Amino acid sequence: MSKRIRALLTLIFILLLGGCTDGPDTAGMKIYRHSLTGSPTSIDPAQSATLYANHVVVNVYDTLYRYKYLARPYQIAPNLAEALPEVSEDGLTYTIRIKKGVEFIDDPAFPNGKGREVTAADFVYSMKRHFDPKTRSQGSWFWAGRIKGMEAWKKAGSDYDREVEGLKALDRYTIQIILNKPFPQLVHTLAQGYAAIVPREAVEYYGREFSVHPVGSGPFKLQRFDSVGVVLLRNPKYRREPIDLAYEGYDEAIHGKYGIKEIDGKIPPLVDRLEIHFIKQSLSRWNSFTKGDEIQYAGIPKELLDDVLAQKQPDIVLKPEYAEKYFMTSGYENGFVHTDFNMRDPEIGYNKDKKREEMNHALRCAIRYAYDWDDRNKKFYNDMGFVFPGIIPPVVPEYDPKASRESLRHDPAKGRKLLEEAGWTTESLPTLTYGGVAQVDTRQMFEQFRGWLMKIGYPKEKVKLDAYASFGDFNRAVKKAKIKIVGMGWGLDYPDAENTLQLFYGPNGSPGSNNANFNDPEYNRLYEKTSVMQQSPERTRLYRRMNQIVQDACVTISGLSRRQIFLWHKDVISFPDQSIVGGFHLKFVDVKEAQK
Amino acid sequence: MEILQYALRKFITGIPLIIGVTLISFLLMVYFGPDKTYELVGKNPTPEQIQEVRHQLGYDKPFVTRYLEYLKELVTFDFGYSDSTGERVNSILARTVPISLALIIPGFVLGNLLGIALALVAAYHRGRWWDKFIMGGSVVGMSVSFLIVIIAFQIIFSSNDGLGWFPVRGWNVYNFWDYLRYVTVPTLATVFVALGYNTRFYRAVIVEEMGRDHVRTAKAFGTPPGELLFKHILKNAMIPIITRIMFSIPLVVISGSLLLESYFGIPGVGLVTYDAITTGDQPILKAVVGITAVLFVVVLILNDIFYKLVDPRVSLK
Repeated sequence: MSKRIRALLTLIFILLLGGCTDGPDTAGMKIYRHSLTGSPTSIDPAQSATLYANHVVVNVYDTLYRYKYLARPYQIAPNLAEALPEVSEDGLTYTIRIKKGVEFIDDPAFPNGKGREVTAADFVYSMKRHFDPKTRSQGSWFWAGRIKGMEAWKKAGSDYDREVEGLKALDRYTIQIILNKPFPQLVHTLAQGYAAIVPREAVEYYGREFSVHPVGSGPFKLQRFDSVGVVLLRNPKYRREPIDLAYEGYDEAIHGKYGIKEIDGKIPPLVDRLEIHFIKQSLSRWNSFTKGDEIQYAGIPKELLDDVLAQKQPDIVLKPEYAEKYFMTSGYENGFVHTDFNMRDPEIGYNKDKKREEMNHALRCAIRYAYDWDDRNKKFYNDMGFVFPGIIPPVVPEYDPKASRESLRHDPAKGRKLLEEAGWTTESLPTLTYGGVAQVDTRQMFEQFRGWLMKIGYPKEKVKLDAYASFGDFNRAVKKAKIKIVGMGWGLDYPDAENTLQLFYGPNGSPGSNNANFNDPEYNRLYEKTSVMQQSPERTRLYRRMNQIVQDACVTISGLSRRQIFLWHKDVISFPDQSIVGGFHLKFVDVKEAQK
Repeated sequence: MEILQYALRKFITGIPLIIGVTLISFLLMVYFGPDKTYELVGKNPTPEQIQEVRHQLGYDKPFVTRYLEYLKELVTFDFGYSDSTGERVNSILARTVPISLALIIPGFVLGNLLGIALALVAAYHRGRWWDKFIMGGSVVGMSVSFLIVIIAFQIIFSSNDGLGWFPVRGWNVYNFWDYLRYVTVPTLATVFVALGYNTRFYRAVIVEEMGRDHVRTAKAFGTPPGELLFKHILKNAMIPIITRIMFSIPLVVISGSLLLESYFGIPGVGLVTYDAITTGDQPILKAVVGITAVLFVVVLILNDIFYKLVDPRVSLK
């Protein structure tokens, strides 16, 4: 072999070895391989805006509160906190005691690399980070304007050594939060990934790279994080708290068949190694799932639903060959999809000319009558979605199953009549832009929508698609109120209808979360009134009234909660949840056999 | 010494090319690329928060200032931090480029070697059954979409519905055996598609070379087929072959293969680059574009040097 060829082969071999890494010894380890349909970019709690990010964040960090593993509707439980908060009579002062002896993982960020005890001051620091512009927090809106003195602290330069009046560590283990006005959902927000507790040393040690070097006190610690997955290892320092299944909401009728009883009394986390694979391609995910020794949890690809399911309605049933191998559960998402009209656009929304504003109202209602929910459900959601009137979805306690379904009625004739009565003609109808990210689904949804509008006499050329190259570009157009009709989805941060009602609160208009830019004085007044009320029949009544206002104004075409189906291997003991927060159940997942 | 002087001279003349490429791509990134701001703000941002993020991203600086900063980053090879993950761009590249190389090199090498071998056979049997068979196969390789090939190969070789011999996804590569398990199916898919293009191209080059006088003369002297093909034809056809291979290298090194990495769950640079393009992560894009431009200039130089090695008549002036 000539010297040149030998040198070339050696070079190639060295390059190939570059793809190898140090191997872990997994023999004897319990490994659970989860999968997600998307990937997080940052795992800094302050930027954990997605379910994907939360799957990692709530498993490597501690939050003061969490949701019970099995109880549905969701119930809050103390996590790092010793108990639920003590709340003052006026609902403004919260006192929370945290558990003693909980430690952060060992990390070079600490002196001698040894993780220290988590204290109340860490929580105070973690919350302050949200109001430091350098953090680029995506979760500050939960607490903006609510914690006494926080805005002033930010204005004064976000100096962490300066005290905030409404956020103090009274002693090493006691937190005090003072609010500007009552915020009944506060405890829910403290169960989110955003509220995870980080040590100041690690944030300062890693700087910008803290977002990929989590240092927490959660059940797991990070071993690897890249574009295709994350590998977490059991945190050996995690506090030893046996599982009390009765407390977690165990119901033999629901959970018995999954073998969950076996974990009662065990100490989480139950696996030594948790792998979360980010797999966007549904077929690849399915092939990996059915392979047997790869991922152990997945959904069913849309294109294979008929092959895998024996029945879709009313209950979902797997075909026997799949039921033999896999466990399955299904449920409606904690959120919904809806299509909003941009009320800031004078051609379809508010207008200085009151006559035109009335015409616009008729136009929006006519479009809503043109909308065919059954058809949308069949074509895009496998006829498994749950269609409900308004913006209070079925998963929250305030949902009204007896509410009028008029806003869901598909009646093109009535839509056409409304247009005529309001004085609209083919010539005078405005050109509508339907915005979305440039994807096949968006185009198909738009075509379906345009087809419906043509049935009420809308000229085809007056309904246009505004497709954006990326979500960022689409979001920019939405936040600048440039699109007339916006198809959106909302995932609830916590199970309280306030989280969806705020989507139509006037002061939250663009660039805020109120993409419809709805600004109704009566609605705003009720929102402000209910936002300080604890859960009660009166609050539910007012929520429902607000729901009706939105429907009467024809400001949105809403809504549909998608049905989710989860499958997992029978050697896994789990009750998956992907709706609230994301991944909070993973510390309770067990596998029957350790790696050989 | 002559080679070194030549390389230096050529690199200096390549600088305008690097500036041109980076300027045009930076213009596209800034004025036509996705706006990262609205990916980074939360669900309910205030106008001040939007301004703060724009400021941190440097979007409020004049274009010239930003471009000069980019050139400085390229010279110092310090591209800062990813706008998405916050990780150092250099760390990301150091982690992902070796994986992409390890993924792509076998397919790249085999695709080219087999392409040359098949092209030699086809050219030697030009117009006959072998030629038609090989060229027909090439057309199939060229016609089937890479995506379809990947999905089909994954089902055939990896899934339980097929042979199930290899992993469907992942890159748990800790030794050479693991490496073979994970790289085989992606390599087969790459070779299947690359062979079509490579064989057709190389056959055309070799056929042209076969018509030359010296080949006819060698044939007339009764030179055996092996010697004729390798010594008289292939050696003289090396210049276009080297050009094709060399110019593929920058893309192989830095771009990786998005489809392979996505479908086989491999954490290479292709996925990172794709995500950066779709989300407007400019620090990563600047690094990828800048390094690719520099690599092209280096490849141009190496290309000329290789020309001289295979053909002494070429002079480095």
